[in-house]
Amino acid sequence: MHVTVDPERCQGHTLCAMIAPQMFELDEVDGHSSPVTGTVPAGQQDKVREAVRSCPEQAIAIS
Amino acid sequence: MSPDLSGDDRKQPRYEFDRHTPEYRHQFEAITQEMQANCPLAWSDTHGGHWVAAGNREVFELARAAGYLSNDHDVHGERRGYQGITIPTPAEMQIQGGFLEMDPPGQREYRQALNPYLSPAAVARWLPVAAELVRACLDEKIGTGQIDFVDDLANIVPAVLTLAMMGIPLSHWSIYCEPAHASVYTPPDSPAMARVRDTQIAMFEDMYAQLLAIRASPRPGLIGALTQAEINGRRPDDMELLGVMLLLVGGGFDTTTALTAHALEWLSGHPAERDRLSRDRDTLLNSATEEFLRYFAPAPGDGRTIAQDCELAGVRFREGDRLWLSWAMANRDPAVFENPNDIDLARTGNRHYSFGLGIHRCIGSNMARMVFKQMVTGVLDRMPGYQCDPAGAEHYQTIGVIQGMRHLPATFPPGPRLGPGLDETIAAMQRACDGQRLAEPVTVRKAAAEVGL
Repeated sequence: MHVTVDPERCQGHTLCAMIAPQMFELDEVDGHSSPVTGTVPAGQQDKVREAVRSCPEQAIAIS
Repeated sequence: MSPDLSGDDRKQPRYEFDRHTPEYRHQFEAITQEMQANCPLAWSDTHGGHWVAAGNREVFELARAAGYLSNDHDVHGERRGYQGITIPTPAEMQIQGGFLEMDPPGQREYRQALNPYLSPAAVARWLPVAAELVRACLDEKIGTGQIDFVDDLANIVPAVLTLAMMGIPLSHWSIYCEPAHASVYTPPDSPAMARVRDTQIAMFEDMYAQLLAIRASPRPGLIGALTQAEINGRRPDDMELLGVMLLLVGGGFDTTTALTAHALEWLSGHPAERDRLSRDRDTLLNSATEEFLRYFAPAPGDGRTIAQDCELAGVRFREGDRLWLSWAMANRDPAVFENPNDIDLARTGNRHYSFGLGIHRCIGSNMARMVFKQMVTGVLDRMPGYQCDPAGAEHYQTIGVIQGMRHLPATFPPGPRLGPGLDETIAAMQRACDGQRLAEPVTVRKAAAEVGL
Protein backbone atom coordinates (compact mmCIF):
# COMPACT_ATOMS: atom_id res chain seq x y z
CA MET A 1 0.00 0.00 0.00
CA HIS A 2 1.19 3.50 -0.90
CA VAL A 3 -0.22 6.64 0.76
CA THR A 4 -0.17 10.31 -0.27
CA VAL A 5 -1.63 13.49 1.20
CA ASP A 6 -2.67 16.17 -1.28
CA PRO A 7 -1.10 19.35 0.20
CA GLU A 8 -3.60 21.53 -1.71
CA ARG A 9 -6.53 19.75 -0.09
CA CYS A 10 -5.17 19.20 3.43
CA GLN A 11 -6.31 21.94 5.81
CA GLY A 12 -4.83 20.61 9.02
CA HIS A 13 -7.83 18.87 10.59
CA THR A 14 -5.29 16.40 12.14
CA LEU A 15 -7.62 13.38 12.24
CA CYS A 16 -5.17 11.24 10.25
CA ALA A 17 -2.39 11.75 12.78
CA MET A 18 -4.84 11.05 15.60
CA ILE A 19 -5.83 7.74 14.00
CA ALA A 20 -2.45 6.64 12.60
CA PRO A 21 0.20 8.64 14.48
CA GLN A 22 3.02 6.47 13.15
CA MET A 23 2.02 7.10 9.54
CA PHE A 24 1.25 10.83 9.40
CA GLU A 25 3.26 13.75 10.73
CA LEU A 26 1.90 17.24 11.23
CA ASP A 27 3.76 20.37 10.32
CA GLU A 28 4.93 22.16 13.45
CA VAL A 29 3.77 25.55 12.20
CA ASP A 30 0.42 24.93 10.48
CA GLY A 31 -0.49 21.36 11.43
CA HIS A 32 -0.85 20.21 7.84
CA SER A 33 -0.21 16.52 7.31
CA SER A 34 2.25 14.53 5.29
CA PRO A 35 2.97 10.78 5.22
CA VAL A 36 5.94 9.67 7.29
CA THR A 37 6.74 7.19 4.56
CA GLY A 38 4.99 6.52 1.25
CA THR A 39 4.88 2.77 1.73
CA VAL A 40 2.51 1.58 4.44
CA PRO A 41 3.62 -1.49 6.43
CA ALA A 42 1.09 -4.29 6.71
CA GLY A 43 0.43 -3.61 10.38
CA GLN A 44 -0.58 0.01 9.68
CA GLN A 45 -2.81 -0.49 6.66
CA ASP A 46 -6.10 -0.68 8.53
CA LYS A 47 -5.31 2.53 10.37
CA VAL A 48 -4.39 4.31 7.16
CA ARG A 49 -7.64 3.15 5.55
CA GLU A 50 -9.49 4.57 8.54
CA ALA A 51 -7.58 7.85 8.16
CA VAL A 52 -8.68 8.00 4.51
CA ARG A 53 -12.32 7.49 5.56
CA SER A 54 -12.07 10.11 8.31
CA CYS A 55 -10.41 12.97 6.45
CA PRO A 56 -12.94 15.83 6.21
CA GLU A 57 -11.22 17.22 3.12
CA GLN A 58 -10.79 13.79 1.48
CA ALA A 59 -7.13 14.70 1.01
CA ILE A 60 -5.57 11.25 1.56
CA ALA A 61 -5.19 8.70 -1.23
CA ILE A 62 -4.00 5.10 -1.13
CA SER A 63 -2.99 2.89 -4.01
CA MET B 1 -40.48 27.70 -23.61
CA SER B 2 -37.47 27.21 -21.39
CA PRO B 3 -37.58 28.69 -17.89
CA ASP B 4 -35.93 32.05 -17.31
CA LEU B 5 -32.99 31.05 -15.20
CA SER B 6 -31.81 34.60 -14.72
CA GLY B 7 -34.69 35.36 -12.38
CA ASP B 8 -36.47 33.52 -9.61
CA ASP B 9 -37.09 30.40 -11.68
CA ARG B 10 -33.59 29.16 -10.93
CA LYS B 11 -34.28 29.41 -7.20
CA GLN B 12 -35.48 25.82 -6.92
CA PRO B 13 -36.22 23.77 -4.97
CA ARG B 14 -37.64 26.02 -2.30
CA TYR B 15 -37.73 25.42 1.43
CA GLU B 16 -38.82 27.81 4.15
CA PHE B 17 -35.71 27.69 6.34
CA ASP B 18 -35.25 29.75 9.48
CA ARG B 19 -32.53 28.49 11.77
CA HIS B 20 -33.10 31.39 14.20
CA THR B 21 -36.44 30.06 15.45
CA PRO B 22 -36.82 27.81 18.50
CA GLU B 23 -38.77 25.44 16.22
CA TYR B 24 -35.60 24.78 14.24
CA ARG B 25 -33.84 23.66 17.41
CA HIS B 26 -36.74 21.47 18.52
CA GLN B 27 -37.30 19.91 15.08
CA PHE B 28 -33.67 19.81 13.98
CA GLU B 29 -33.60 16.10 13.14
CA ALA B 30 -36.91 16.13 11.25
CA ILE B 31 -35.98 19.25 9.26
CA THR B 32 -32.56 17.80 8.47
CA GLN B 33 -34.09 14.52 7.26
CA GLU B 34 -36.69 16.34 5.18
CA MET B 35 -34.17 18.63 3.50
CA GLN B 36 -31.67 15.86 2.84
CA ALA B 37 -34.39 13.67 1.33
CA ASN B 38 -36.08 16.36 -0.78
CA CYS B 39 -33.90 19.43 -1.18
CA PRO B 40 -30.31 19.05 0.06
CA LEU B 41 -29.58 22.39 -1.59
CA ALA B 42 -32.60 24.70 -1.38
CA TRP B 43 -33.60 28.33 -1.78
CA SER B 44 -35.23 29.99 1.20
CA ASP B 45 -36.92 33.41 1.08
CA THR B 46 -36.16 34.02 4.76
CA HIS B 47 -33.68 36.68 5.93
CA GLY B 48 -33.43 38.45 2.61
CA GLY B 49 -33.33 35.22 0.62
CA HIS B 50 -30.51 32.71 0.61
CA TRP B 51 -29.50 29.21 -0.41
CA VAL B 52 -29.24 26.52 2.24
CA ALA B 53 -26.91 23.55 1.85
CA ALA B 54 -28.09 20.72 4.12
CA GLY B 55 -26.75 17.62 2.38
CA ASN B 56 -23.27 16.37 3.15
CA ARG B 57 -22.22 16.11 -0.49
CA GLU B 58 -23.55 19.58 -1.29
CA VAL B 59 -21.87 21.20 1.71
CA PHE B 60 -18.59 19.47 0.84
CA GLU B 61 -18.64 20.58 -2.78
CA LEU B 62 -19.65 24.16 -2.01
CA ALA B 63 -17.41 24.77 1.00
CA ARG B 64 -14.35 23.68 -0.91
CA ALA B 65 -15.11 25.79 -4.01
CA ALA B 66 -13.17 28.67 -2.51
CA GLY B 67 -12.69 30.40 -5.84
CA TYR B 68 -16.45 30.83 -6.31
CA LEU B 69 -17.31 31.73 -2.74
CA SER B 70 -16.50 34.81 -0.72
CA ASN B 71 -16.39 35.27 3.05
CA ASP B 72 -15.80 38.99 2.64
CA HIS B 73 -17.65 41.38 4.93
CA ASP B 74 -17.32 44.72 3.18
CA VAL B 75 -18.26 46.91 6.13
CA HIS B 76 -17.25 50.19 4.49
CA GLY B 77 -18.59 49.46 1.00
CA GLU B 78 -15.13 49.51 -0.55
CA ARG B 79 -15.38 46.32 -2.58
CA ARG B 80 -18.53 44.51 -3.67
CA GLY B 81 -20.68 45.09 -0.63
CA TYR B 82 -20.68 41.46 0.53
CA GLN B 83 -22.14 40.76 3.93
CA GLY B 84 -19.80 38.19 5.46
CA ILE B 85 -20.68 34.94 7.19
CA THR B 86 -23.72 35.91 9.27
CA ILE B 87 -27.22 35.55 7.80
CA PRO B 88 -28.97 37.86 8.28
CA THR B 89 -26.40 40.61 8.71
CA PRO B 90 -26.56 41.95 12.27
CA ALA B 91 -28.25 45.33 12.44
CA GLU B 92 -25.76 46.70 14.94
CA MET B 93 -22.05 46.29 15.50
CA GLN B 94 -20.96 46.38 11.88
CA ILE B 95 -17.39 45.17 12.19
CA GLN B 96 -15.49 42.81 9.93
CA GLY B 97 -15.17 39.50 11.75
CA GLY B 98 -11.43 39.11 11.32
CA PHE B 99 -9.98 36.76 8.73
CA LEU B 100 -13.11 34.59 8.84
CA GLU B 101 -14.80 37.46 6.99
CA MET B 102 -11.96 37.92 4.50
CA ASP B 103 -10.80 36.20 1.33
CA PRO B 104 -7.26 35.33 0.29
CA PRO B 105 -4.65 36.67 0.10
CA GLY B 106 -5.30 38.74 3.25
CA GLN B 107 -7.08 35.82 4.93
CA ARG B 108 -4.12 33.54 4.23
CA GLU B 109 -1.62 36.09 5.48
CA TYR B 110 -3.43 36.42 8.80
CA ARG B 111 -3.53 32.68 9.25
CA GLN B 112 0.15 32.35 8.42
CA ALA B 113 0.87 34.94 11.09
CA LEU B 114 -1.21 33.14 13.74
CA ASN B 115 -0.75 29.43 12.89
CA PRO B 116 2.54 29.14 14.83
CA TYR B 117 0.57 29.94 17.99
CA LEU B 118 -2.26 27.49 17.31
CA SER B 119 -0.79 24.45 15.55
CA PRO B 120 -0.98 21.05 17.29
CA ALA B 121 2.64 21.45 18.43
CA ALA B 122 1.95 24.97 19.69
CA VAL B 123 -1.19 23.98 21.57
CA ALA B 124 0.40 20.91 23.18
CA ARG B 125 2.71 23.26 25.12
CA TRP B 126 -0.34 24.65 26.96
CA LEU B 127 -1.65 21.30 28.20
CA PRO B 128 -0.17 21.65 31.73
CA VAL B 129 -1.78 25.09 32.06
CA ALA B 130 -5.16 23.74 30.96
CA ALA B 131 -4.88 20.82 33.38
CA GLU B 132 -4.04 23.17 36.24
CA LEU B 133 -6.97 25.49 35.46
CA VAL B 134 -9.34 22.51 35.31
CA ARG B 135 -7.98 21.27 38.64
CA ALA B 136 -8.56 24.67 40.23
CA CYS B 137 -12.12 25.03 38.85
CA LEU B 138 -13.04 21.61 40.19
CA ASP B 139 -11.33 22.32 43.53
CA GLU B 140 -13.55 25.36 43.98
CA LYS B 141 -16.60 23.06 44.02
CA ILE B 142 -15.33 19.59 44.95
CA GLY B 143 -16.10 19.98 48.65
CA THR B 144 -19.66 21.19 48.13
CA GLY B 145 -21.07 18.36 46.02
CA GLN B 146 -22.58 20.89 43.61
CA ILE B 147 -21.27 22.47 40.42
CA ASP B 148 -22.61 24.28 37.39
CA PHE B 149 -20.49 22.81 34.61
CA VAL B 150 -21.05 25.93 32.47
CA ASP B 151 -20.52 28.69 35.02
CA ASP B 152 -17.91 26.96 37.14
CA LEU B 153 -15.83 25.10 34.55
CA ALA B 154 -16.59 25.31 30.83
CA ASN B 155 -16.93 29.11 30.77
CA ILE B 156 -13.69 29.61 32.66
CA VAL B 157 -10.97 27.35 31.28
CA PRO B 158 -11.36 28.24 27.57
CA ALA B 159 -11.60 31.93 28.48
CA VAL B 160 -8.45 32.05 30.60
CA LEU B 161 -6.46 30.00 28.09
CA THR B 162 -7.60 32.11 25.15
CA LEU B 163 -6.49 35.28 26.92
CA ALA B 164 -3.18 33.61 27.81
CA MET B 165 -2.53 32.79 24.17
CA MET B 166 -3.51 36.29 23.09
CA GLY B 167 -1.22 37.93 25.63
CA ILE B 168 -3.98 39.54 27.71
CA PRO B 169 -3.70 39.47 31.54
CA LEU B 170 -5.47 36.32 32.70
CA SER B 171 -7.31 38.10 35.51
CA HIS B 172 -9.25 40.01 32.82
CA TRP B 173 -11.13 36.85 31.84
CA SER B 174 -14.27 37.99 33.61
CA ILE B 175 -14.38 41.17 31.49
CA TYR B 176 -14.57 38.98 28.40
CA CYS B 177 -16.60 36.03 29.63
CA GLU B 178 -20.09 37.48 29.93
CA PRO B 179 -20.21 39.42 26.65
CA ALA B 180 -18.65 36.50 24.76
CA HIS B 181 -21.54 34.25 25.78
CA ALA B 182 -24.42 36.65 26.39
CA SER B 183 -24.07 38.37 23.03
CA VAL B 184 -24.76 34.98 21.45
CA TYR B 185 -27.68 33.77 23.54
CA THR B 186 -29.49 37.06 24.16
CA PRO B 187 -32.14 37.83 21.51
CA PRO B 188 -31.57 41.29 19.94
CA ASP B 189 -35.02 42.48 21.08
CA SER B 190 -34.60 41.29 24.67
CA PRO B 191 -34.63 43.85 27.51
CA ALA B 192 -31.42 42.17 28.71
CA MET B 193 -29.63 43.33 25.56
CA ALA B 194 -28.86 46.80 26.94
CA ARG B 195 -26.78 45.29 29.71
CA VAL B 196 -25.10 42.92 27.25
CA ARG B 197 -24.15 45.95 25.15
CA ASP B 198 -22.56 47.55 28.21
CA THR B 199 -20.46 44.45 28.84
CA GLN B 200 -19.50 44.36 25.17
CA ILE B 201 -18.33 47.96 25.34
CA ALA B 202 -16.21 47.17 28.41
CA MET B 203 -14.70 44.24 26.50
CA PHE B 204 -13.94 46.38 23.45
CA GLU B 205 -12.32 49.00 25.65
CA ASP B 206 -10.09 46.40 27.27
CA MET B 207 -9.24 44.87 23.89
CA TYR B 208 -8.25 48.21 22.49
CA ALA B 209 -6.20 49.03 25.58
CA GLN B 210 -4.40 45.69 25.22
CA LEU B 211 -3.70 46.30 21.56
CA LEU B 212 -2.19 49.72 22.26
CA ALA B 213 -0.22 48.47 25.26
CA ILE B 214 1.25 45.51 23.38
CA ARG B 215 2.13 47.67 20.41
CA ALA B 216 3.90 50.15 22.70
CA SER B 217 5.60 47.48 24.79
CA PRO B 218 5.64 44.13 22.95
CA ARG B 219 4.89 40.91 24.79
CA PRO B 220 4.39 37.44 23.33
CA GLY B 221 1.03 36.25 22.07
CA LEU B 222 -1.47 36.42 19.24
CA ILE B 223 -1.99 40.17 19.68
CA GLY B 224 1.74 40.75 19.46
CA ALA B 225 1.74 38.82 16.18
CA LEU B 226 -1.11 40.98 14.89
CA THR B 227 0.75 44.20 15.69
CA GLN B 228 3.67 42.92 13.61
CA ALA B 229 1.65 41.47 10.73
CA GLU B 230 1.77 42.90 7.24
CA ILE B 231 -1.45 42.11 5.37
CA ASN B 232 -1.98 42.93 1.71
CA GLY B 233 1.29 44.87 1.83
CA ARG B 234 0.30 47.15 4.71
CA ARG B 235 -0.13 47.30 8.47
CA PRO B 236 -3.87 46.80 9.15
CA ASP B 237 -5.74 49.59 10.92
CA ASP B 238 -6.82 49.17 14.53
CA MET B 239 -10.47 48.49 13.70
CA GLU B 240 -9.46 45.58 11.49
CA LEU B 241 -7.22 44.19 14.24
CA LEU B 242 -10.01 44.54 16.80
CA GLY B 243 -12.17 42.48 14.44
CA VAL B 244 -9.52 39.76 14.48
CA MET B 245 -9.30 39.89 18.27
CA LEU B 246 -13.07 39.63 18.47
CA LEU B 247 -12.95 36.58 16.21
CA LEU B 248 -10.35 34.94 18.47
CA VAL B 249 -12.46 35.61 21.56
CA GLY B 250 -15.70 34.55 19.85
CA GLY B 251 -14.09 31.40 18.51
CA GLY B 252 -12.19 30.57 21.67
CA PHE B 253 -14.88 31.00 24.30
CA ASP B 254 -18.48 30.03 23.56
CA THR B 255 -17.82 27.12 21.19
CA THR B 256 -15.67 25.00 23.50
CA THR B 257 -18.03 25.80 26.36
CA ALA B 258 -20.95 24.56 24.26
CA LEU B 259 -19.24 21.31 23.29
CA THR B 260 -18.17 20.52 26.84
CA ALA B 261 -21.55 21.25 28.39
CA HIS B 262 -23.42 19.12 25.86
CA ALA B 263 -20.99 16.23 26.22
CA LEU B 264 -21.17 16.29 30.02
CA GLU B 265 -24.96 16.45 29.88
CA TRP B 266 -25.14 13.49 27.50
CA LEU B 267 -22.70 11.44 29.60
CA SER B 268 -24.79 12.09 32.71
CA GLY B 269 -27.76 10.57 30.92
CA HIS B 270 -25.71 7.58 29.73
CA PRO B 271 -23.74 6.45 32.80
CA ALA B 272 -22.61 3.16 31.26
CA GLU B 273 -21.11 5.05 28.32
CA ARG B 274 -19.56 7.49 30.76
CA ASP B 275 -17.90 4.67 32.70
CA ARG B 276 -16.71 3.12 29.44
CA LEU B 277 -15.23 6.42 28.24
CA SER B 278 -13.43 6.92 31.53
CA ARG B 279 -12.14 3.34 31.66
CA ASP B 280 -11.12 3.10 27.99
CA ARG B 281 -10.06 6.72 27.48
CA ASP B 282 -6.70 5.74 25.99
CA THR B 283 -8.48 4.28 22.97
CA LEU B 284 -11.85 6.04 23.15
CA LEU B 285 -11.24 9.69 24.05
CA ASN B 286 -10.21 10.78 20.55
CA SER B 287 -13.12 9.14 18.75
CA ALA B 288 -15.56 10.25 21.46
CA THR B 289 -14.37 13.84 21.12
CA GLU B 290 -14.90 13.75 17.35
CA GLU B 291 -18.33 12.19 17.87
CA PHE B 292 -19.40 14.90 20.31
CA LEU B 293 -18.12 17.45 17.80
CA ARG B 294 -20.11 15.82 14.99
CA TYR B 295 -23.30 15.46 16.97
CA PHE B 296 -23.39 18.74 18.89
CA ALA B 297 -21.67 20.94 16.23
CA PRO B 298 -21.18 24.02 18.44
CA ALA B 299 -20.83 26.35 15.44
CA PRO B 300 -23.63 25.00 13.27
CA GLY B 301 -22.74 26.68 9.98
CA ASP B 302 -21.33 29.60 8.05
CA GLY B 303 -22.68 32.04 5.49
CA ARG B 304 -21.01 32.75 2.17
CA THR B 305 -21.59 35.01 -0.83
CA ILE B 306 -21.35 33.65 -4.36
CA ALA B 307 -18.50 35.63 -5.95
CA GLN B 308 -19.20 34.79 -9.62
CA ASP B 309 -21.90 33.15 -11.70
CA CYS B 310 -21.33 29.41 -11.55
CA GLU B 311 -22.96 26.02 -11.45
CA LEU B 312 -22.14 23.99 -8.36
CA ALA B 313 -23.83 20.94 -6.82
CA GLY B 314 -26.41 21.07 -9.60
CA VAL B 315 -27.53 24.66 -8.98
CA ARG B 316 -26.96 27.75 -11.12
CA PHE B 317 -25.75 30.44 -8.76
CA ARG B 318 -25.58 34.12 -9.54
CA GLU B 319 -22.93 36.47 -8.26
CA GLY B 320 -24.16 38.04 -5.03
CA ASP B 321 -26.38 35.10 -3.97
CA ARG B 322 -26.17 34.34 -0.27
CA LEU B 323 -25.55 30.78 0.89
CA TRP B 324 -25.77 29.04 4.27
CA LEU B 325 -23.50 26.03 4.69
CA SER B 326 -24.89 23.87 7.49
CA TRP B 327 -22.10 21.91 9.11
CA ALA B 328 -24.61 20.63 11.68
CA MET B 329 -27.01 19.19 9.09
CA ALA B 330 -24.21 17.78 6.91
CA ASN B 331 -22.99 15.96 10.02
CA ARG B 332 -26.31 14.06 10.19
CA ASP B 333 -26.46 12.87 6.60
CA PRO B 334 -27.15 9.11 6.48
CA ALA B 335 -25.31 8.95 3.15
CA VAL B 336 -22.07 9.40 5.12
CA PHE B 337 -22.89 8.54 8.74
CA GLU B 338 -24.59 5.31 9.75
CA ASN B 339 -27.34 5.98 12.31
CA PRO B 340 -26.50 9.69 12.13
CA ASN B 341 -28.75 10.69 15.02
CA ASP B 342 -27.12 8.27 17.47
CA ILE B 343 -23.98 9.00 19.44
CA ASP B 344 -21.39 6.24 18.97
CA LEU B 345 -18.30 7.01 21.02
CA ALA B 346 -16.24 4.61 18.91
CA ARG B 347 -17.55 5.83 15.54
CA THR B 348 -15.17 5.37 12.62
CA GLY B 349 -15.04 7.28 9.35
CA ASN B 350 -16.17 10.37 11.25
CA ARG B 351 -15.37 13.08 8.71
CA HIS B 352 -17.55 15.67 10.39
CA TYR B 353 -17.51 19.34 9.41
CA SER B 354 -17.79 20.91 12.85
CA PHE B 355 -14.57 22.88 12.33
CA GLY B 356 -15.66 23.88 8.85
CA LEU B 357 -14.08 22.82 5.58
CA GLY B 358 -11.56 24.26 3.18
CA ILE B 359 -9.36 27.29 3.73
CA HIS B 360 -11.40 28.62 6.67
CA ARG B 361 -11.03 25.50 8.86
CA CYS B 362 -11.31 26.66 12.49
CA ILE B 363 -7.86 27.96 13.39
CA GLY B 364 -8.47 27.08 17.05
CA SER B 365 -9.50 23.47 16.44
CA ASN B 366 -6.40 22.04 18.13
CA MET B 367 -6.94 24.22 21.16
CA ALA B 368 -10.64 23.29 21.32
CA ARG B 369 -9.91 19.57 21.33
CA MET B 370 -7.17 19.84 23.94
CA VAL B 371 -9.18 21.99 26.34
CA PHE B 372 -12.32 19.88 25.89
CA LYS B 373 -10.42 16.68 26.70
CA GLN B 374 -8.85 18.23 29.78
CA MET B 375 -12.22 19.41 31.11
CA VAL B 376 -14.05 16.14 30.45
CA THR B 377 -11.34 13.87 31.84
CA GLY B 378 -10.97 16.17 34.84
CA VAL B 379 -14.65 15.70 35.62
CA LEU B 380 -14.51 11.95 34.97
CA ASP B 381 -11.58 11.63 37.39
CA ARG B 382 -12.88 13.76 40.21
CA MET B 383 -16.67 13.67 39.92
CA PRO B 384 -17.16 10.27 38.26
CA GLY B 385 -20.70 9.76 39.51
CA TYR B 386 -22.00 13.27 38.81
CA GLN B 387 -25.66 13.71 37.99
CA CYS B 388 -26.90 16.66 35.98
CA ASP B 389 -30.13 18.27 37.11
CA PRO B 390 -32.42 18.30 34.06
CA ALA B 391 -34.61 21.00 35.65
CA GLY B 392 -31.65 23.35 35.90
CA ALA B 393 -30.07 22.60 32.52
CA GLU B 394 -30.62 25.59 30.27
CA HIS B 395 -29.98 25.37 26.54
CA TYR B 396 -29.79 28.34 24.21
CA GLN B 397 -33.31 28.95 22.92
CA THR B 398 -32.09 29.01 19.34
CA ILE B 399 -29.14 27.37 17.61
CA GLY B 400 -28.74 29.76 14.70
CA VAL B 401 -25.33 31.01 15.80
CA ILE B 402 -24.03 28.67 18.51
CA GLN B 403 -25.61 25.49 19.88
CA GLY B 404 -24.80 26.38 23.44
CA MET B 405 -25.87 26.03 27.04
CA ARG B 406 -26.28 28.72 29.68
CA HIS B 407 -26.35 26.45 32.71
CA LEU B 408 -25.73 22.82 33.56
CA PRO B 409 -25.99 22.22 37.32
CA ALA B 410 -24.95 18.86 38.69
CA THR B 411 -24.48 17.09 42.00
CA PHE B 412 -21.84 14.56 43.01
CA PRO B 413 -20.40 12.98 46.17
CA PRO B 414 -18.00 15.59 47.63
CA GLY B 415 -14.29 14.88 47.48
CA PRO B 416 -11.00 16.37 48.69
CA ARG B 417 -9.36 19.47 47.29
CA LEU B 418 -6.05 18.93 45.54
CA GLY B 419 -4.63 22.44 45.43
CA PRO B 420 -5.21 26.18 45.56
CA GLY B 421 -8.40 27.86 44.38
CA LEU B 422 -9.05 29.56 41.08
CA ASP B 423 -7.80 33.08 41.76
CA GLU B 424 -4.55 31.86 43.25
CA THR B 425 -4.09 29.43 40.38
CA ILE B 426 -4.78 32.10 37.76
CA ALA B 427 -2.14 34.29 39.43
CA ALA B 428 0.32 31.36 39.32
CA MET B 429 -0.46 30.74 35.64
CA GLN B 430 0.14 34.43 34.94
CA ARG B 431 3.59 34.12 36.52
CA ALA B 432 4.25 31.05 34.36
CA CYS B 433 3.13 32.93 31.22
CA ASP B 434 5.36 35.89 32.01
CA GLY B 435 8.36 34.01 33.37
CA GLN B 436 8.46 31.32 30.66
CA ARG B 437 7.09 33.46 27.81
CA LEU B 438 4.53 30.73 27.15
CA ALA B 439 2.68 32.72 24.49
CA GLU B 440 5.65 32.80 22.12
CA PRO B 441 5.04 31.03 18.79
CA VAL B 442 6.17 27.42 18.52
CA THR B 443 8.92 28.58 16.19
CA VAL B 444 10.48 30.43 19.16
CA ARG B 445 9.53 28.29 22.16
CA LYS B 446 9.05 24.53 21.85
CA ALA B 447 8.99 23.29 25.44
CA ALA B 448 5.78 22.61 27.32
CA ALA B 449 4.78 24.94 30.14
CA GLU B 450 6.01 24.13 33.63
CA VAL B 451 3.34 24.86 36.18
CA GLY B 452 4.68 23.51 39.47
CA LEU B 453 3.13 25.80 42.07
